[in-house]
Amino acid sequence: MGVIEEVFSIDLPVGEQFRIQRCRYTPKEGETSKRISIVSGIHGDELEGQYVCFLLGEWLRANPDKIKATIDIYPAINSLGLDSITRSVPFYDVDLNRIFPGSKNDFLPAQIADGVISAMSGSEIAIDIHSSNVFLREIPQVRIAKSQEKTLVPLANKLNIDFVWVHDAVTVLESTFAHAMNTLGTKTLVVEMGVGMRLGKAYGHQLLDGILNLMAEEGFLAIEPLNVRFPIQSHVGEVAYLNASQPGLFVPSIEHCQMIEKGSVVGTIVDPLSGATLDEVIAPIGGILFTLRAYPIVYEGSLVGRIFGENG
Amino acid sequence: MKRLEILNFKSPNRAPLKVEGFLFGEESKGPSIAIVGAMSGDHINQLYVASRLVDYLRQKEEEGKIIGKILVIPAVNTYALNMGETFWPLDKTDINMMFPGYAQGETTQRIAAKLFQSLQGFDYGIILEGRRDQGMCLPYVKIIKSGYEDIESARDLGMRFIHYRPYSPIETVMLQYNWQLWETKALSIVFGKNGAINNTTSSEVHEALVRLMTKRGMLDLPMFEGYSSNIIQPEYITVLKASRAGIFDSVVSCGATVEKGDILGRITDALSGEKLEKIVAPIGGVLTCQYASPLIFQNSIAFRIASVEK
Ligand SMILES: [Zn+2]
Repeated sequence: MGVIEEVFSIDLPVGEQFRIQRCRYTPKEGETSKRISIVSGIHGDELEGQYVCFLLGEWLRANPDKIKATIDIYPAINSLGLDSITRSVPFYDVDLNRIFPGSKNDFLPAQIADGVISAMSGSEIAIDIHSSNVFLREIPQVRIAKSQEKTLVPLANKLNIDFVWVHDAVTVLESTFAHAMNTLGTKTLVVEMGVGMRLGKAYGHQLLDGILNLMAEEGFLAIEPLNVRFPIQSHVGEVAYLNASQPGLFVPSIEHCQMIEKGSVVGTIVDPLSGATLDEVIAPIGGILFTLRAYPIVYEGSLVGRIFGENG
Repeated sequence: MKRLEILNFKSPNRAPLKVEGFLFGEESKGPSIAIVGAMSGDHINQLYVASRLVDYLRQKEEEGKIIGKILVIPAVNTYALNMGETFWPLDKTDINMMFPGYAQGETTQRIAAKLFQSLQGFDYGIILEGRRDQGMCLPYVKIIKSGYEDIESARDLGMRFIHYRPYSPIETVMLQYNWQLWETKALSIVFGKNGAINNTTSSEVHEALVRLMTKRGMLDLPMFEGYSSNIIQPEYITVLKASRAGIFDSVVSCGATVEKGDILGRITDALSGEKLEKIVAPIGGVLTCQYASPLIFQNSIAFRIASVEK
């Protein structure tokens, strides 16, 4: 069984603590400094990762003799946010994933970031599980900044995900947890899957298999590697963004993210007041629709989907 | 005065978002300046200073005192202002994190793109900013080292402090940095407490703006000299943290000169009333910033002191 530890605590004004907890699993015999961190809940409205943490914990409880190294599970980083359906850090309205590496000498969100880093640094690998926000549904994917492509893509390929998206890094992403950890030498993968405020069981089990496989291959678990799917690689094609051209209600024409042909209708934007259909969102390329809008209200510009087309 | 429509953005259900600018004078006669007010819904003092400035400039224009071109955009995120939100009400994104904007991108990127387009070509640019934390501070000039910054125009504001520091990565998507990159001498004036109006502070910022416009040849007015600004680099700021959480009260105000050993604030236990901590100045200087909420978290920054020596 894992040991629950508190790794960061700050007194809140009225008789409570903000705290970050982890559940640590270690091998039955022998010390190991080899460590992996499974992280979730940096955004308080993203819950898919909590289910993966549960599934992993359940598996490790049942298989203690298979553990070869230290496995830390952190399901709830922005614990205040998680319990109040708040994406950012409550009170401060600050996106925790834009404040790394943080600082002890700054406001609460920066101190939390600093606490997270000091708890996890020294890990060989970290897996940071995000859902999308409440607006978008995503197929299981790993996003990697181009500068880290070489080290991270081989790891991501072991995670049983559908898509590896290597993107051009924007400066602002330098303030993310993943960037801070990668800079400190922890190979950190960012998983995005599902949708905010919801829980997709199938995706949870898919990623659990991926994490078990990665831990088997990287020497954290004494089990045979699993037979996992090989993800589509983004460097073989292009990503097309579908933005709403009109404000209105987006009604998807397809149920989930899936393969789509060029010219087919992704959804319509309608006006509930007049009953008019304002626009049809058409796939500009064929490929895999890996992002689809889940929240129907759109403004001009709202993202309604992303397609990865293998042929470009 | 010309009232310009900077952008007009339709909403699915509410009235369109209209961002308006107020334009004074002519470019051909002198230099130009653009002033941007509330980009967030809680920047009320910034809105107040900007709208008061519009009224002031309208009078000065009638008196024939305007030489250059002056654009004031009092509010950008009117949707948030109208409903007590801080950020864009639908997706909670911060417009001041979307620069230089992207016309084919997401909603707030499109808003930023339109706004940024209307801010091009000005000689000077001023952003009226609120704080990003629970603090309250002496009005100060914030200027980041992008390689394009202009300290001299910052000095002409005659404000007491200029905080001059390297930029952090997130500032590369903010207006000041991008505006500088596009060759406008851009700076920010940070002031006030979010969600509130303070008259003394507002007057001070108003006066500084008028002073800069006078000194840089956009207004023809007699004007008092301001401060000879102190340029403060981060290492001259002492941060005082609350080691305990609870009810916070401050016994000094921003702008006060404090001596080493002075008691600045107290923290009491919110439930038992037990006196937990006195916050004492470890160094002499000017109190530039204080925590502005009655409930304080452990390790929150309670005060900042700017000093001459480290
Ligand atoms: Zn997230």
